[in-house]
Amino acid sequence: MGIQEQYRSEAASLLSSGEVKLVIGFGAGSTADRRRPLFARTGEEANRFVLDASCIANLSTYLLTEGLLSDGKKVGIFLKPDGIRSINILIAEAQLKPDQVVILGYAIENGQLTALEGRSVADFNGVNEKIRSLALPPAVQQDIERLEAMSPVERFQFWQDQFSKCIKCYACRQACPMCYCRRCIVDVNQPQWVNTSSHTLGNFEWNIVRAFHLAGRCAACGACDRACPVNIPLRLINARMGREVREAFDYFAGESTDQKPVLASFSKDDPETFIL
Amino acid sequence: MAKIGVFVCHCGENIASMVDTGNLVRSLSDHPGVEVCNEYKYFCSDPGQETVKRAIREHNLTGVVVAACSPRMHEQTFRKACAEAGLNPYMLELANIREQCSWVHSNKEQATGKAIEITRSLVEKVKRNNELKPISVPVTRRALVIGGGIAGIQAALDIASAGREVVLVEREPSIGGHMSQLSETFPTLDCSQCILTPRMVEAIQHPNIRVLTYSEVEEVVGYIGNFTVKVRNKARYVDIDKCTGCGDCIQKCPQKKIPSEFECGLGNRSAIYTPFAQAVPNKPVIDRNRCTYFKNGKCKICQKTCQIEHCIDFDMQDTYEEIEVGAIVVATGFQIQDTSVYGEYGYGKYKDVITGLQFERLASASGPTAGKILRPSDGKEPETVVFIQCAGSRDPSKGVKYCSKICCMYTAKHAMLYAHKHHHGNSQIFYMDIRAAGKGYDEFTRRAIEEDGAGYVRGRVSKVFQENGKLIVRGVDTLLGKPVEVAADMVVLATAMVPQPDAKEFAKRIGIGYDEYGFFNEAHLKLRPVETATAGIYLCGACQSPKDIPDTVAQASASAAKVLGLFSREQLEREPVVAAVTESTCAGCWGCVMACPYNAIEKQDIKDRNGKVIKQVASVNPGLCQGCGTCVTFCRSNSIDLAGFTEKQIFAEVMAL
Repeated sequence: MGIQEQYRSEAASLLSSGEVKLVIGFGAGSTADRRRPLFARTGEEANRFVLDASCIANLSTYLLTEGLLSDGKKVGIFLKPDGIRSINILIAEAQLKPDQVVILGYAIENGQLTALEGRSVADFNGVNEKIRSLALPPAVQQDIERLEAMSPVERFQFWQDQFSKCIKCYACRQACPMCYCRRCIVDVNQPQWVNTSSHTLGNFEWNIVRAFHLAGRCAACGACDRACPVNIPLRLINARMGREVREAFDYFAGESTDQKPVLASFSKDDPETFIL
Repeated sequence: MAKIGVFVCHCGENIASMVDTGNLVRSLSDHPGVEVCNEYKYFCSDPGQETVKRAIREHNLTGVVVAACSPRMHEQTFRKACAEAGLNPYMLELANIREQCSWVHSNKEQATGKAIEITRSLVEKVKRNNELKPISVPVTRRALVIGGGIAGIQAALDIASAGREVVLVEREPSIGGHMSQLSETFPTLDCSQCILTPRMVEAIQHPNIRVLTYSEVEEVVGYIGNFTVKVRNKARYVDIDKCTGCGDCIQKCPQKKIPSEFECGLGNRSAIYTPFAQAVPNKPVIDRNRCTYFKNGKCKICQKTCQIEHCIDFDMQDTYEEIEVGAIVVATGFQIQDTSVYGEYGYGKYKDVITGLQFERLASASGPTAGKILRPSDGKEPETVVFIQCAGSRDPSKGVKYCSKICCMYTAKHAMLYAHKHHHGNSQIFYMDIRAAGKGYDEFTRRAIEEDGAGYVRGRVSKVFQENGKLIVRGVDTLLGKPVEVAADMVVLATAMVPQPDAKEFAKRIGIGYDEYGFFNEAHLKLRPVETATAGIYLCGACQSPKDIPDTVAQASASAAKVLGLFSREQLEREPVVAAVTESTCAGCWGCVMACPYNAIEKQDIKDRNGKVIKQVASVNPGLCQGCGTCVTFCRSNSIDLAGFTEKQIFAEVMAL
């Protein structure tokens, strides 16, 4: 039995036994290589789940739909390791309760799918070498190296060119599981810190503020990248922030559910004198 | 409509010499919303303040900007002036064109331009100021004093005598501290015990003082006026309420060869012991690590000897209690540096190389030799004693960088005591400088030299070694430029004063700052010497820096005055610069809860009309909030704002630049 069939039947039994009220997974998309999210509420609907190497989206963002989890019932969800990282970060930031999530985990390596063992959040909690060692896709890695090799002036020009394309549609914000604020800072207009019209300065402000807000919180799932209609390689900037945080604080976001947010917590042993 | 008054101060020449104040006044006069704009030589003077008040009344001003010095200097002055003229004091802003402009620039034209921008941005801010009211918090009028040395005793007595309750916590079995170990005290040579013990007795008998000995402060939570302190009362194994202090148990204890801490190892004590004869309370304690019963499960001779039932209780456990206090005085004192780092001085190797504190015990009438200065090795009277000053102090390489302040004086005193007890004795003092600043201090050291024959050799000692039963002290006399050797019978090291070994850990536990050594930090070295940066916590004595007894006592009374000032009212008025959360947009990520250094942010339930919790949001306790703004910068959804520094105000300020 392939992994798709295994997870279809598992999802069906989760639903028919009433253990979960909903399973979020993938269904067929508009073209042969695209998948679209499928929300199954019955065992029969679960038979329409598709699971193959094209299922690359991070579905965890759907868990934050307003009101979805307020009844205390459980939801099943298909997740890759980056999605599991997102879940851990969301739990650490009190946006999810661990006992409301049933994980149907899978990994894609060289186009091959493998099922991940464990179903509860606790099974994936703690330092997970598998998750930590997970490399970024080679193409992304190459892009990062190409950017690193640039001089600061060239790099600034690169981002200026990229951000000049931004049309402020906020698709990146919508796709990102970490952008869960009820009101985004960009929507604050008293005072209007970030200019909403899409000119270079406002575009820069928006994208840089978002990168700062994701420092130490990004699971590197690439949802922002895929969502961007004008193809700004947003994950590159987030990957760089992630590396800075890793090097400065030995902090790997999404490793466990009890990680303290790296930029909001402080140690009393900090050598900096401004900390009492 | 905003009606803003702008008042440009010359500060004599401080501002006017580098800023063209006339130009500044002209530029600001045309600024939208500015109703009146004046300049004057000293706005902080009475006529200056009167000008501001008159302008507020005559022009019905809605806001005031004083372009002058730092708000640290005169914000309170002008707030008061505004209030007297009927304007809410928080409708005032100080534009700092002195420290941040005139003092730091040398180009008048550019400095003037900058002063205009600074003042203009504050005008834009003050237009958006809101009227604020000070926050009232209740004050628990009971003080906690941590440390029962002379500092803690003095502070406790001063507070208690003014009619306020005090809890005095001491971790040793008796109060008294280091002062109880001293023989005579400089510069008057009065007996330390004779002047200290009356204070100790007064403290324990005072109706307003509760003395908790053999107890430690485990945790401090809360804020100025409202602290909750967790104290651990360590198991003493003796019920001090039942014990009469007869001392029979001490006599009968089979463990008698334990080096006494109080005697600095020069005398012995038993396993059940009182640290010294005048201990307060004069009730014994069992040293669990040395007691035969606790080691072998057999003995209990003390319990059998004791004539009071259940007085000695081997099953006693540590107990904890929580105490509500409004202010805390930290008086945790010092330790002396471990001199064994100086291998060349032979401390620990030769019995007759001792520390200054050990010499105190030898010279003390209550000490192991009953006040006779005798060599620890053979009990003979030393004919020649060498004193080495700065044995640790002012030595960045091996010791400490600072001056321990008391050693010059006590070494002179030691030489004097030695001369008084051994009339033919010879004392030689190696010193770097003689630091004898203080009332009667220089006269005292002169007396040691001139009347009591102390020989002062300016120079350092390189080595102390034993030869033919003598301690050979090899050093240099830098005034003669010659190496010298003295054959001594005893060597006394003036060891450095260092913070308590757990000082840093303790400071973190109660939330105060400390310096690189572990001495606790005062809020301002000159102007706020007994306050810490944490409101409601005060310092006194050698936990802040090395100090002698007069300074310690003065500082203890100063901290008591601060505590009594705080206790003079039932309610405490606090700056209303506190953060507030916009509940509707708070995402409940609790980043602010973790980021807050004052634990001022709590989780609050938002309920629907049926009482069901719909969500949780952050909520700031205005009593705890110190207005630092850390939460504001952290909040991603911009759901926290700081009164007096709102986003709107800051934005307007920035945009005016």
